[in-house]
Amino acid sequence: MSTSVYLSNPVVTINSVDLSDQCTSAVLTRMIESLESTAFGQTNRSYVGGLENSTLTVTMYNSFAATETYATLKALVGTQTTVKIKPTSAATSATNPESTLTLTYLESLPIVNGQLGALDTIDITFTGGAYSVAVA
Amino acid sequence: MAYVIASSRLGTVGDVFEPTDGINIEALIEGGFIKSTSKSTKSDKPSKDTNEE
Repeated sequence: MSTSVYLSNPVVTINSVDLSDQCTSAVLTRMIESLESTAFGQTNRSYVGGLENSTLTVTMYNSFAATETYATLKALVGTQTTVKIKPTSAATSATNPESTLTLTYLESLPIVNGQLGALDTIDITFTGGAYSVAVA
Repeated sequence: MAYVIASSRLGTVGDVFEPTDGINIEALIEGGFIKSTSKSTKSDKPSKDTNEE
């Protein structure tokens, strides 16, 4: 049985900026909204695909240093951008596909998530945009 | 307008940056990741203070 193991080298780029070394978690979910198409005479509900609404949620360390997390994200709130993720830093291939959300939207950015004795980490979610995947 | 990379997070510093579809250029400039190569029309030299007393 083959599995995908994420050890230390997934690649996450946000607005072309490689923030992999600040990320601890990334979840890309491709979602196509369901539209109910059940009609009289049916004995079960049925659905058809509607608009695509994929999301990428990233957990990362917050850093206010130059060209780090905050510098990357501060001007993206309320705008569209492009994000990419692939399982490893190796060349893009069928076994290391690079997924892209083009013109995805960042609605909110936590500025500070401070806890005593803990590193500042933030969760951000990019919503919508066009999903594509490259294998070469 | 052309841009050059100013941060290794984006690529090799000094290389020309060619944005792909959906990239927010203003955010990259504001974050210090790229610089515009277009020259300012104003002189960088400070103007002389001729109002000497």
